[in-house]
Amino acid sequence: MTDAPILELTDVSAEYGPFRSLFGVSLTIRPGAAVALLGANGAGKTTVARVASGLVSASAGSVTVDGTDMTEARTYEFARAGVAHAPEGRSVFATFTVEENLTLSFRRALGRSRVKAGLEEAYSLFPRLGERRSQTAGTLSGGEQRMLSLSRVLVEKPRLLIADELSLGLAPIVVDEVYETLATIRGTGTALLIVEQHVQHALELCDDVALLDHGTIAWEGPASEAAEVVVTHLFDREGS
Amino acid sequence: MLASFGEDFFRALLQGTPPGTVYALIGLGFVLTYKTSGVFNLAFGAQAYISAAMFFKARQDWEWGIVPALILSVFVLAPLIGLTLERLIFRNLRTASAVSKLVIAIGLSVALPALFELLANYKPVAGRPPTGIVPDGGSVFYDPFGIYPFSRDELAQIIVAVAAMLLLGALFRLTAAGLAMRGVVESPRMTELAGIPADRISALAWAISSMFAGMAGVLIAPRLNTLISTDFLTLVIIAMAAAAVGRLVSLPRALVGGMALGWFIALFNTFLPRWSDDYTWLKPFQENLTPSLPFVVLFGILVFWPAIRRSIDAADPLAGVDPPPPALASATRHPLLTLQTRAFGVVFFSFIGWVAFTQADVRWVSLLTQAVILATIYLSITVITGFAGQISLCQGAFAAIGGFTVFQMADRYEMSVLLAALIGALIAALVGALLSLPVLRIGGVWLAIATLAFAFFFDAVMVKFSWVGGGSTALLTGTRVPRPVLGPLDFGASDRSFLALAIVVFVIVAVGVIQLREGTIGRTLRALRGSEVAAESIGISPARARIIAFAVSAFIAGLGGAMLAMQQKDVNYGQNFTPFAAMFWLVLVVSLSARTVEGAAQAGAAFVLFAPVILDGTFLTWLPFITEDNLPGFFPIPGKWRFVLFGLTAIQFARHPEGMVEFGKRRATRKRNERYYARDAERAAQAAAEAGMAT
Amino acid sequence: MTAILESSRIAKSFSGIQALTDVSIDVMEGERVGLIGPNGAGKTTFFNCLLGVLTPDTGTVRFHDRDISELPVHKRAQAGIGRTFQRIELFSDTTVREHLLIAERVHNERGSFWKDLIGRGRPQADEIDRCDAVLELLGLAELGDEPVEALSLGQGRLVEVGRALMTEPSLLLLDEPSSGLDREETAALATTLREIQAEKGFAILLVEHDVDLVADFTERLYVLDFGSLIAEGPTAETLQHPAVRTAYLGTLEVGDQEAMP
Repeated sequence: MTDAPILELTDVSAEYGPFRSLFGVSLTIRPGAAVALLGANGAGKTTVARVASGLVSASAGSVTVDGTDMTEARTYEFARAGVAHAPEGRSVFATFTVEENLTLSFRRALGRSRVKAGLEEAYSLFPRLGERRSQTAGTLSGGEQRMLSLSRVLVEKPRLLIADELSLGLAPIVVDEVYETLATIRGTGTALLIVEQHVQHALELCDDVALLDHGTIAWEGPASEAAEVVVTHLFDREGS
Repeated sequence: MLASFGEDFFRALLQGTPPGTVYALIGLGFVLTYKTSGVFNLAFGAQAYISAAMFFKARQDWEWGIVPALILSVFVLAPLIGLTLERLIFRNLRTASAVSKLVIAIGLSVALPALFELLANYKPVAGRPPTGIVPDGGSVFYDPFGIYPFSRDELAQIIVAVAAMLLLGALFRLTAAGLAMRGVVESPRMTELAGIPADRISALAWAISSMFAGMAGVLIAPRLNTLISTDFLTLVIIAMAAAAVGRLVSLPRALVGGMALGWFIALFNTFLPRWSDDYTWLKPFQENLTPSLPFVVLFGILVFWPAIRRSIDAADPLAGVDPPPPALASATRHPLLTLQTRAFGVVFFSFIGWVAFTQADVRWVSLLTQAVILATIYLSITVITGFAGQISLCQGAFAAIGGFTVFQMADRYEMSVLLAALIGALIAALVGALLSLPVLRIGGVWLAIATLAFAFFFDAVMVKFSWVGGGSTALLTGTRVPRPVLGPLDFGASDRSFLALAIVVFVIVAVGVIQLREGTIGRTLRALRGSEVAAESIGISPARARIIAFAVSAFIAGLGGAMLAMQQKDVNYGQNFTPFAAMFWLVLVVSLSARTVEGAAQAGAAFVLFAPVILDGTFLTWLPFITEDNLPGFFPIPGKWRFVLFGLTAIQFARHPEGMVEFGKRRATRKRNERYYARDAERAAQAAAEAGMAT
Repeated sequence: MTAILESSRIAKSFSGIQALTDVSIDVMEGERVGLIGPNGAGKTTFFNCLLGVLTPDTGTVRFHDRDISELPVHKRAQAGIGRTFQRIELFSDTTVREHLLIAERVHNERGSFWKDLIGRGRPQADEIDRCDAVLELLGLAELGDEPVEALSLGQGRLVEVGRALMTEPSLLLLDEPSSGLDREETAALATTLREIQAEKGFAILLVEHDVDLVADFTERLYVLDFGSLIAEGPTAETLQHPAVRTAYLGTLEVGDQEAMP
């Protein structure tokens, strides 16, 4: 049981309105594993992340979390099963203060008594957030909003952490720190699914890489072999 | 002198406190609903009214005690209504536009009171004033300062308003449920990502806000002599100024805004009469402005307070997860199908015409004429809402401008009424264009509210001016309008000839509307409605197009209003053109079809003929063997069902913005449409094959 | 060649974060220029500043030697800047041909209330001919009467192009035209665009993610990262620029880098 995959996508297809954005994607993440999801824009990375956290339902195939079939489950049931997802972009409640944003999530994930400790942890992770704890999140800079969105999932230490476009809009030094934190969390047994455009960090952190192209998995393998494949893929005119 | 000024000032403040509290209560409720459900809930007044009426009925008809009556009306019925609305309507509409939700709320505020009155068999009776939630609420007074006594009911209102502000504030700031409710409004998806079930939270929110609406209704009721649903709607619209001051999110600001509105009006009423004693030119303003002050304030806040415009539509960061709504049913019809529809139309209308001009008696001719004229007015909604996609709630005022112009011109200058009708329509167009300049900058939901404020302003002030609605002379003689005479044709001599004139006017306007729809203006508006950014990218100016739409719409409404006045030989403002009537017009037209001329025609027929033909069961007597004597026992069905039916159909607006009838028609004819196209394709293929064989 | 678009030192910040810093981009007459950069580099912000959707904090936009920095969106469109959208923007419930017809009408300013009333507002024969000619050029001739809801994404994007062409733009801005299209569709779109551009001679500014398309389609390239230009020049050379590869890949040691020319 302990070695059962935390997340298993089997032949998952997904649609966006009339358009199909995933074609039979299969992906397995074992407890404590770290998988990087790479690919060009529009390749379907974000959709995979969304299916994995229940935001988008698979139109075909199956999704299991911890061995339980969750194909039909609602988003909040994924969260309760231990999947935490920091979506791409400025995914914060814009009219909430920084503290309210974190509290909303910590109340359930950490329990009432540990909200305060969770807030302190988030602020020590990102001191900028601590300085702005009572500022409305909508008025934060793009980078600070990313920090807020990430600090939520970093503090909760879920069974599976999904981060979409992790480093987007963050200063390089902050990105370094986030990756250090991710490495620490990984040590405590959290599995990671990292979606990235800047690939270097992702390759250093993760052991496995899945490369998406036009809604299918084009390549899957260990991170050590990934660099060359990725370069050829993104710049394949030069590679050929 | 100075001391008395101070005392008068203080007394005015105290005097303004009770009404201010009422505005504050409603403003708070409005903000509460918006914060927890994201709906601009005009039906708040209807919900408040239902609880107040239930309380009244339980107390006075069933002679229940205060506590059980309160439990039934506020803590059982109100949340039940809220939960029903959430489950059946608003849960499915989280991603609908704010404007569609507003239309639904207008539909509900028409339907809910009528539905309650029918089910609970409640009739407002004058002379039985409602009582409040404290014993002897209206008869025991406290006078802490010795200058103005507060009744117990008023104190109860003040206490509840302040307590509610504090409690609700605490709910939002301190509790997990409060945070979750705000979260669901902003982004149900992100709330679910935090492990919170959005549906359950949204149901809870509706239960709470509906309970508050019920509480506000029961508390406010003693201020009214008779419980009438429209009074509650008026209060809600006034209190919207308070909610606007709170920018729809701040409870303390809504409370202060409501109180300030009450104080401002009281001060105004205290001091303006004195100044106008000294300056006589102020007199007419004092007399006319006072009742309209709340609407002037509302309009002023909406138009001149820039904060409203950049208000708080925090977009859902995960909105992109949902795919765009599915396309409307296909708009292209096979020519053969169009031909069939037209042929049927010609036969149908010829038959109606034959009946009207040879068979019908005076009553039916008059009803038919009214239907045709209202259809003309409804074409103005076709232009502004159907083509331009804007919700205007002041079409009644535009129509009234037409009617009053004819009255004034005929009364003062004995001008030909047909010419006067044209002038009236032009004046309405001018007013419409001028009104559109400030309101178009606001956009969306606030635009609709600003037009509503204008309608109420017109209702409260303009109608009473002697040069508009006739003022005091109108009370004695009515606003009489003669029928037109054109050369040898006297349209007053026979109602049938006036029906013919009404039909001619309708046809001219309808043709004009169709020409506009197919012409540059209509196509420009369609582009804007389809995608504003794309329209701008090819050089279309949104403001210009919409000002034209407003002016054209107001022109048509004015012309129709003038025709209606001629037909009834009196403007009959109170019956025809009040803001409430105009709200029902909008609901009726959008629920049938706002985009087509047929929709306007059907709406005209429905408004006038639905009650006498369907509800009275008359249509059955046209069948063999049934006469008025052996009609089934449930006829005549009460006329209120009309409001329930069309109010509830408006709910479909979000999903089928083309209107129910239009949607049904498209769906019904789609099969045949497809069959015709398939046959064409088959023939083409066959012809191609034959051509291929030949070569 | 003369520059038709000169944007100089455009800067824009949102609530404290600098989205664009002194970005200057020129486009010559009839030229195909690309603008690339990783997500969040400021491409969209720059695009919106050019079009008038956003007002830059500093900097000016000149078009055909005229300062258009203060003009609203529709005036810039009238001046000759056409565009397409990343998330496709078509007029719902309207046929393909009507999209072109309304653009044609607005461009020629032949609309008037009275003309509408006497029926002259309907599409005229010469307008229909011109629209059909453009549809033919785009390979959409068969689809003129289709409602746009029935189109594929690729066809929809071509309708956007056609709609923009009816206003006879001297500069066409393409906002990530390949997004949502697969490889074959992207290639087909590029081919069609090149043919039309050769015939009509307008300039193109292409904002893209797809490096293939940019390499294939543009003559000159600007590269944005973190809100400033990090490289510019002829496309093939610019793509080899070390800073460009770093922007996309970080400081990753790329094995075959030495092998590059």
